[in-house]
Amino acid sequence: MLRASLRQVSTALKEGRVTPTELCQRCLALIKSTKFLNAYITVAEETALKQAEESEERYKRGQPLGILDGIPIAVKDNFNTAGIETTCASNMLKGYISPYNATVVQKLLDHGAVLLGKTNLDEFAMGSGSTDGVFGPVRNPWSYSKQYKEKSVPKSHSEDEESGWVITGGSSGGSAAAVSSFTCFAALGSDTGGSTRNPAAHCGVVGLKPTYGLISRHGLIPLVNSMDVPGILTRCVDDAAVLLGSLAGHDPKDSTTIQDDFKPFELPNLTDVSKLSIGIPKEYHAPGLSSEILALWSKAADLFKNAGAKVVEVSLPHTRYSIVCYHVLCTAEVASNMARFDGLEYGHRSDMKDSTESMYAATRREGFNDVVRGRILSGNYFLLKQNYEKYFVKAQKVRRLIANDFVKVFRSGVDVLLTPTTLSDAAPYMEFIQEDNRTRSAQDDILTQAANMAGLPAINVPTALSERGLPVGLQFIGRSFQEKQLLTVAKWFEKQVQFPVIQLEEVKRHDSGVFQHQKSASFS
Amino acid sequence: NYLRISPFSSFLFSLAPWIPVVGLEIHAQISSNSKLFSGSQVQFAAPPNSLVSFFDASLPGTLPVLNRRCVEAAVMTGLALNCSINKKSLFDRKHYFYADLPAGYQITQQRVPIAVNGSLSYSLCIDNKMSQMVTKTVRIKQIQLEQDSGKSLHDDTRCQTLVDLNRAGVGLMEVVMEPDMCCGEEAAAAVRELQLILQTLGSSQAVMAEGQLRVDANVSVHHPGEPYGVRTEVKNINSIRFLAKAVDYEIQRQIEELENGGTILNETRAFDSKLGCTVPMRDKEGKQDYRFMPEPNLPPLILYDTKSLPANVNHQQVINIDWIQERLPDLPSVKREKLVEQYGILPEHSFTLLNEDGLAEFFESVVKQTQMKPKKVIGWILNDLLSYLKQHSLTVKERSV
Repeated sequence: MLRASLRQVSTALKEGRVTPTELCQRCLALIKSTKFLNAYITVAEETALKQAEESEERYKRGQPLGILDGIPIAVKDNFNTAGIETTCASNMLKGYISPYNATVVQKLLDHGAVLLGKTNLDEFAMGSGSTDGVFGPVRNPWSYSKQYKEKSVPKSHSEDEESGWVITGGSSGGSAAAVSSFTCFAALGSDTGGSTRNPAAHCGVVGLKPTYGLISRHGLIPLVNSMDVPGILTRCVDDAAVLLGSLAGHDPKDSTTIQDDFKPFELPNLTDVSKLSIGIPKEYHAPGLSSEILALWSKAADLFKNAGAKVVEVSLPHTRYSIVCYHVLCTAEVASNMARFDGLEYGHRSDMKDSTESMYAATRREGFNDVVRGRILSGNYFLLKQNYEKYFVKAQKVRRLIANDFVKVFRSGVDVLLTPTTLSDAAPYMEFIQEDNRTRSAQDDILTQAANMAGLPAINVPTALSERGLPVGLQFIGRSFQEKQLLTVAKWFEKQVQFPVIQLEEVKRHDSGVFQHQKSASFS
Repeated sequence: NYLRISPFSSFLFSLAPWIPVVGLEIHAQISSNSKLFSGSQVQFAAPPNSLVSFFDASLPGTLPVLNRRCVEAAVMTGLALNCSINKKSLFDRKHYFYADLPAGYQITQQRVPIAVNGSLSYSLCIDNKMSQMVTKTVRIKQIQLEQDSGKSLHDDTRCQTLVDLNRAGVGLMEVVMEPDMCCGEEAAAAVRELQLILQTLGSSQAVMAEGQLRVDANVSVHHPGEPYGVRTEVKNINSIRFLAKAVDYEIQRQIEELENGGTILNETRAFDSKLGCTVPMRDKEGKQDYRFMPEPNLPPLILYDTKSLPANVNHQQVINIDWIQERLPDLPSVKREKLVEQYGILPEHSFTLLNEDGLAEFFESVVKQTQMKPKKVIGWILNDLLSYLKQHSLTVKERSV
């Protein structure tokens, strides 16, 4: 049951094969036995069970609120949740309980979803490993899968699972791990430079970054306001469309959301792809791209070609400047957004009492980790009067060029772009932490952040297992506000590749599944 | 008229005249039910921190939502001050750390303000003679929309600061006047005229004592034919009378300083109304770099005129400049002209009638009801009524006619 898709479990709820409370309890039990993954910062057991109970009442009355009613979900810990701690994995907000719900959280609750808890992340979503939060790193569930264990040969006998585990990617690693380990049916992440798609790729789940402005950011604690988008992590593309349908649309509390109403959609089963034009941007053949992923990428392109789609190589010439411009714009907004954490109104406050200024300084030194402080420092440098034109304005101009690259390609008739999501499969934690956060982020965001610079929708679709038995995903980038087209293509691709289901001991013990949709065929 | 000879000044300077230059930055609180970017109420003297939304306290994750009424007030004010209204203006963040600025930045319009290039005509009498009035004009550089800050109360004995955020986020119009004035009296007359205009429009209550109108004066002096001198900024001016005093004091201080061979620092000074002088403000951080950047959470503010108004548009969602222009009330200068024309009174008397809220209306109704000659009524108002009201600390609005 826990391994079912959201749609399947919704049907089971409707048919009474399982009750919301049973479902919630099973998820909570699985969260407990997979605690070592460190996917959750807060498990809201009590409120979740209460919400499940209320959902159960609705089902009994025959009046469920819709497909999400009674579905256990998890939310990244940078979305405000009324009454449940919101920490951003930072000392600055440890113990902070927000008085209000983020719009997306409110919408999920209004649709009857059951909020299991808040998931782990890099501090203030700054990172690409989910290794840099105060609550410790998130472990990739695939580290404990049969598939990975079979393929990875321990270097020595003394080396056990403890040192061999791989990272989830980030910064929404907790949400990706939660969906991947079946502790929830869907999760919210956030995506500023790839923070939803990157961990989705490493954890073998679907990760959707919608068009900027399609989903409200109200209540999402910002990283970069002009690029942040709430992200959706699910088991399959269809489920992502369900979540999108309940979350998208204008929010009077977020002036950057679209004015038009959003019509939820169901995804058609594409049978004919001959009218599709798939663009392969050559610049995404980036330095450091593993040969394994490169092979997978061209195999995927062939798959479309063989099915009759038009596959064309395209060029996005300014891509190579994207990551450095992203860095400038990101840190500048970070410097600004973090200014509010001064210890006065909420959050951590230092005991330092010499003066207001020394209290500010001590509060921020104690409250933020090195990564956050480093970004604040460089952001403030870029915003200085004498540097503003040279860095910030220039980066903004290049951002426009990057966005125009995409416009041109789509105008030339390309429907969807196909690229890798990550350069390689997930790195072992011990290896990952050898490099600093800045270097890691620059490498790991390279294939994903351009979509944020341009505000475009993009999705990671789990594609195959690597030689090490770890998930590898590919990314589709679509036209602005053309989520339906993007997801339709992604769904077709998903069906072709038949990505294998993760085999976890913990899940087997908990899941006396009614329907186990074990997939045997593998793409690679 | 600012030739001063100090006993210590060298003879080289003693005969060269000084030209004082005065520019003003005026913050007018917008009269609106709710704040510039949040739904909290705007009210003077409410219990501390009783009018604070999550956004005003800058709780993480909150976003600004622009208040239409504040935009309309700024457009009205811009039109009344002969400005060109920018059809597209932008919001920026201005950063500094202060206890009553919870976000660590103020949202303002640094790059492209809502209104630019206007002018304000004001009159003042020469040598305090009401009969000799001259009209002068000051250029308006720009009007920008921005957030007010909260208030800090320092308790020095207990060594603590108390913060009231009721005012945080209230809409302000910053009116920047070019340095076209040359003495305290001119500055005071210009501000008084602006105050009357704002009150007529209803875009601000503009009561200085309640902080709804705050004036900072930029003052410098130079010799003819020479570039402008180093200027100082005078703050803490809380009445029009003090504005005139503060500016004149500062002009005199600068002249004396220079004539004594000293230099003027580009500094911020506060007006001490008790001592009647300006004193340097403790400027702890020295020159601030405000690290301006575009406010990413607010799209550009787009205004329309009848020509550019899109066809299928919800009128609640757009602002039409022409529509506002057509509905502007008579401005004080027009009202005065009408009074002079209609009742045959002296121009200077029309100033007196408009100088107090409700007095012109009172005058008109007395003329109408008593059928007396307007000049007689004016005489009675000037000689008897106003002094009576003053004696009894009454306003004309409080008296029933």
